Amino acid sequence: MIRDLTSRSRRPWRAAAAAVGASSLLFLAACSGDAAGDGAELENTEGSMTDFAADQQFKATEPLDLSILWTDWPDLPIKDSWRIFDEIAKRTNVTLEPTNIPFSDATEKRSLLISAGDAPEIIPLVYTGEDAPFVSSGAVLPMSDYVDLMPNFQKYVEEWDLGDMIDNLRQDDGKYYMVPGLQEVSVPVFSMIIRKDVFDEVGAKTPETWDELRDALVKIKAKHPESSPLADGFEGQSMLNYAAHAFGTVGGWGFGNGTFWDEDAGEFTYAATSDGYKEMVEYFHGLVEDGLLDPESLTTTSDGSTDELSEKVANSAVFAASGAAGTVEEFRTALKAADPDAEFELVQIAPPGGSAGQVVEPRNFWHGFMLSAEAKDSPHFVAMVQFLDWLYYSPDAREMLRWGIEGETYTKDADGIITIDPDYSLDAFNINPDGKTDLQKDLGFSTFLAEATESRALKESYNSDQFVEYMDTVLATRTPRDPFPPAPLDDTELEQASLLATPLKDTVDTNTLKFILGDRPLSEWDAYVTELEGQNLQGYLDLVNGAQQRFVEKN
Amino acid sequence: MVTQSGMSLSGDLASPGKPVGARDTRGYRAFTVLNTVVLVVVSLFMLYPFVTVLAQSFSSPGAIKAGLVSFWPVGFNLDTYRAVAQDQMFWASYRNTLVYTLVGTTIAMVLTTTFAFVISKPHLRGRGVLIGIAVFTMFFNGGLVPNYVLISSLGLKNTMWAVVLPGAVSVFNLLVMKSFFENLPQELEEAAQIDGLGWFGIFGRIVLPLSKAVLATMVLFYSVAYWNDWFTAFLYLDKNDLFPVTLFLRNLIAGASSTASEGAAAVGSTTQAVSANIQAVTMILTIVPILCVYPFVQRFFVSGVMLGSVKG
Repeated sequence: MIRDLTSRSRRPWRAAAAAVGASSLLFLAACSGDAAGDGAELENTEGSMTDFAADQQFKATEPLDLSILWTDWPDLPIKDSWRIFDEIAKRTNVTLEPTNIPFSDATEKRSLLISAGDAPEIIPLVYTGEDAPFVSSGAVLPMSDYVDLMPNFQKYVEEWDLGDMIDNLRQDDGKYYMVPGLQEVSVPVFSMIIRKDVFDEVGAKTPETWDELRDALVKIKAKHPESSPLADGFEGQSMLNYAAHAFGTVGGWGFGNGTFWDEDAGEFTYAATSDGYKEMVEYFHGLVEDGLLDPESLTTTSDGSTDELSEKVANSAVFAASGAAGTVEEFRTALKAADPDAEFELVQIAPPGGSAGQVVEPRNFWHGFMLSAEAKDSPHFVAMVQFLDWLYYSPDAREMLRWGIEGETYTKDADGIITIDPDYSLDAFNINPDGKTDLQKDLGFSTFLAEATESRALKESYNSDQFVEYMDTVLATRTPRDPFPPAPLDDTELEQASLLATPLKDTVDTNTLKFILGDRPLSEWDAYVTELEGQNLQGYLDLVNGAQQRFVEKN
Repeated sequence: MVTQSGMSLSGDLASPGKPVGARDTRGYRAFTVLNTVVLVVVSLFMLYPFVTVLAQSFSSPGAIKAGLVSFWPVGFNLDTYRAVAQDQMFWASYRNTLVYTLVGTTIAMVLTTTFAFVISKPHLRGRGVLIGIAVFTMFFNGGLVPNYVLISSLGLKNTMWAVVLPGAVSVFNLLVMKSFFENLPQELEEAAQIDGLGWFGIFGRIVLPLSKAVLATMVLFYSVAYWNDWFTAFLYLDKNDLFPVTLFLRNLIAGASSTASEGAAAVGSTTQAVSANIQAVTMILTIVPILCVYPFVQRFFVSGVMLGSVKG
């Protein structure tokens, strides 16, 4: 009661954040400076290197201070003692000055800072697509105009064959506004974890397809009639995500805006009305009907915690479930807690294939950075871009951000195998837990900056053997789906699209679950498609296809 | 806290409400019983989360994870309190909250009382305009980004003033106080004037001492608002060492539970979630001080409500 009386205009924050986006467009339209094209003409070259090349150490010719947005994780607060900033300064003559934002509301605060024209020069931790809201206001720089200042970026885009994917980043005006973290290899983080020992016991081999999985589940069910051998701890979103690729559609976490590129027709179709989607829903409904898939796990709100699922795994009620490398550890802990002498083998397997082939999600970028528009006016703009090129893409910098200082915190042998120094630990990856100083918590290495760009070797250097094995299997036996062509929407279209897409997605989510759980018979599939059409599905597709064609014509 | 005021309200109804000397009617007795039962049940609902969090704060993380903790600590220990007590960030932000609350409440009280006193005088010329300006802000505001730009251009960003000043005059509190002042007998002021007091004297020596009830209430409102506020700090502060404890707490809790999407979950995989017992301890330590203010102020609060109603 009292709280209501005293709260001072505290309206729901999400709505407020949306308002930021909208109002800022008008507000900042006047502030947008047209970027002057080619980087070579730039005059603000203070501190920059004249002959900066790929794989070369960047060192500013005079000391520079650069401001950077820094997200603070609650369990990883930034500390004065962090060596990472000293090490960067020592190598490059650049001192980073972080602006702290709490992780809990990091994206909202970032929007606010950018919209108000008050953002630091460097805005890291930007995922692909997150630059779109800032394009029209001119609050961030079109990075595509400056990549010629970034030799490392260009080199690794070329070397790792990422050029087409980079082109997909382009916005409506043909430019891209963020440069992403590059991954030499990319595998799905989430896939299926199975109790290999139980699969072996019933004579089922590691399932390569969803049909094989079904056979294995039937055998397990026969042996453990009380169990529902398959589960998903993420409200079904994770399993639908990696399953959809095998059925030639998108779903779950990966549903995105719901459009799917039809290669043959040369246009976008709606994923949730496709035959592949129907086939997938039928498949999972079959599993539920036969008691092979735990229906509870599809409906329980998880909030990202897999405690309940771990409990079921520990009680031998579930033998296969969605999860990432971290989930394997959680299951292992739970199994050990239930029975310290338990013998089991947990393996994360490559996502099973299906009618669309052994297909997994398309290759991914990881988060990269944007530059705020003011950076352009800084006298040391060129040096800044060179510095970021070094920091984000040069192998030396990547190794330093992950492992610290060679000869002090780690050593590297002739084959390039990295070993942590006995005095140090990297608890986040369970590496040398006996070390006194933690690379991450105490020194600031292995934070979000470290994950942006990774070569395969670097990725393997800190991940567990099981994960490396999983990665190798996926890379050897699965094909990433081709990325969809870009269809960037302009401002009004964006607004229209989200007005249309949200109710469509709600209908899809509700009905997907109903069909799978059997609350709605599959014979009503056509009625469901009609419902979607009644929500102006065609209008939505026209919007997206129109944008796609316009983009093709323009570029 | 809600409970306490709720209970006292029922007490008020039970005694002065009934006609003096008359026997309770059956209907009235039934009403009292029902009233008490309903309020006790509601209070229990309100108290349950507090009790659970309190129990969790003394429990072992394993027991919380297994969902064993409801009313009573399981695996009693003080380790979490020790661990949190050693967290310098926590105490730094705690100190910030104390400072913001004290300074903010002081400024707010000075501004609100003086403003309310002025606009409570019917003979003041331009009074309507002054009230209008204040009330206008209740219904309209510039919006988030313009506000941000304003604070930022005033150079208040990353200072205590950005947290303290924007909320210094709550129009609701102002109007409550204005009507309270209006209800004070005008004769008192006239008498004081005859005895030679100026306006400041009347305000400081006559009006304020007679308004302890409403002042206490306003101190409570303002201090709770400042204590609980995280949003203003979130907007205008970018430096960890300036964050109030509520922002620290929000990051701890919201940050730990926002891994429901793949991106976040994947990012989260490089860090571990903050365990529930640490969250619980931080919550307890954050709410206890402001909870302690209530019993002290409640005395004034209740008589304040009474005062207004009787004199009106």
